[in-house]
Amino acid sequence: MSITRRNFLPVAGASVLAGYAGLEGARAHLKPLTGRSAVAIVKARSYSDDLVKRMHEGIAACGLDVRGLKILLKPNLVEFDPATCINTDVSVVAAALEVFRSLGAAEVVIGEGPGHRRDTYALAEMARYRSEIPKFDELFVDLNRDDASSVQGFADRAEIYLPNTALRADLIVSLAKMKTHHWAGATLAMKNFFGLVPGSVYGWPKNELHHVGIDKSIVELSRIFRRSFAIVDGIVGMEGNGPIQGTPKPAGVLVMGSDLPAVDATCCRIMGLDPAGLQYLRMASDTLGVTEESRIDQRGETVRSVRTNFQLVKSFQQYRLS
Amino acid sequence: MPGAHLDFLRGTQNADGGWGYFPGKQSWLEPTAYAALALHGEPPADRAWALIRSWQMADGGWRPAADVQMPHWTTALGVTIAIARGEFGEPFQKGVAWLLGSAGVESKLINRAAARVGLLEADRDLSLKGWPWKPNTSSWVEPTAHSLVALKRAALYLQTARVPIVELRERVRIGEAQLLDVRCRDGGWNYGSRAVLGEDLPSYPETTALALLGLQGHANLSKSIELAKGMALDRRSPLARAWLRIAFRLHGVDSVPLPLGTPLRDIVVTAVDALGAGSGYEFFRAGGLG
Repeated sequence: MSITRRNFLPVAGASVLAGYAGLEGARAHLKPLTGRSAVAIVKARSYSDDLVKRMHEGIAACGLDVRGLKILLKPNLVEFDPATCINTDVSVVAAALEVFRSLGAAEVVIGEGPGHRRDTYALAEMARYRSEIPKFDELFVDLNRDDASSVQGFADRAEIYLPNTALRADLIVSLAKMKTHHWAGATLAMKNFFGLVPGSVYGWPKNELHHVGIDKSIVELSRIFRRSFAIVDGIVGMEGNGPIQGTPKPAGVLVMGSDLPAVDATCCRIMGLDPAGLQYLRMASDTLGVTEESRIDQRGETVRSVRTNFQLVKSFQQYRLS
Repeated sequence: MPGAHLDFLRGTQNADGGWGYFPGKQSWLEPTAYAALALHGEPPADRAWALIRSWQMADGGWRPAADVQMPHWTTALGVTIAIARGEFGEPFQKGVAWLLGSAGVESKLINRAAARVGLLEADRDLSLKGWPWKPNTSSWVEPTAHSLVALKRAALYLQTARVPIVELRERVRIGEAQLLDVRCRDGGWNYGSRAVLGEDLPSYPETTALALLGLQGHANLSKSIELAKGMALDRRSPLARAWLRIAFRLHGVDSVPLPLGTPLRDIVVTAVDALGAGSGYEFFRAGGLG
């Protein structure tokens, strides 16, 4: 009998959490991927579009079955500035909640561990999550201050502590924002997992990840949390000096898929950024997912039909797609 | 008076003597320290101290929770609570020594040398030393502020505390200078840096309040205090409001009414609220070292 993560964790505790992740995620056991991955691009001109319908279309196109799963929705909630669009829009989070419930998930919770601000609930209020998502406080877990367990192996570190809510989820849905990032090039579905790292251990910001290396950390978190799906909010993204100080950039899309490197690579192409220019995607390519355009089954819209060049900071301008 | 807040804390203590960040969750040092200070003099605070003491590591640093095996910025809170309790024995001594030996990695000689020859672009003065959240990472405002409070308070008990006062004074001096060096243009503090890629960062109320705690006794804070007064008008963050209340009381600002709300299920906010509304804010009174 095989023991699945979901069946085993409730009776296991921290040491097994560590052992499981260590076994499943050990870099030495990552085999090169040979297949293809589906990524769906659906148009959504504004946040008042029928986002539930759009998400259903994208999820169906990717063939995702979530019946009976415990799902953690992980938005990108970082800071609030009314002048720009830092966070995953509340309407995307609310729509995802409705969609995954309607698809038969056993449980859907929302969790985030903002990297800068201590007062997560105040941030959620500023971003209108608390006012517009019914019973938000009951559904929400502050991952910065959740109970945490050790997971063995994280880049050159012996272990990393991660929140139990994330470790016990059957599926983590990265509700990322389509943004440029001044250090990584772009912050999309994979980088969004920085918010899974607890501030209670690593602080605000989670500076440990910078010292490990931003690109390595992005890849390592995606390696640990392999059971994931992405819905990237590109309805209005951010260009320029992202992820905080950039300017709004409407792209009018939601990008979805189970292969997070493929989703991120597709987002890059939509943004006019060569995914090969992003180190973390080079590192993840062929081990955690596929990034070559020829190996991605594009569902819904084509990249060409929705592409809109995002302004890039100087250090990434050389990676502008022709 | 914060009676409801204290009742809430009394009712949410875990069996091990600690508090979680939220009721019913695993104990962490941070909420435990604030709750224990708020309930100072009561049996729950004694049970909390017994737990906190057991979390001190061999090197003198405190781990943030039972199962997290690393020394941590919360060592500053361990020292502060030891001082509040008048416990100047080995845990206190080792905690102070750990704080004196802790600094952000950006101030390492190799980084200073790299910056000097242009190999490293630094947004701050690398000759100064703040404190990190955990070892082998950079300095940030909040751990620096708490470490300054702990060390300055340790110095107040010079006769009984047997602290290395010369070393301590120097460390406080360069720690304060580091905090001032990263002050934002508007006079407040972001979480650690004042700008990114040449663009100014905004100040945050919670970090500005904590920096004001750390810089008690320092001259030239009037612009920062005025900014903090304006920040207090924004009521969206209970945590910011709680720390601002303490900062104002320590700096003698009584012109900003910050009414106490009802207790929240957030243990840190509830405990810091209680400390600021009662007399517990005095546990953070540090003054200057002169």
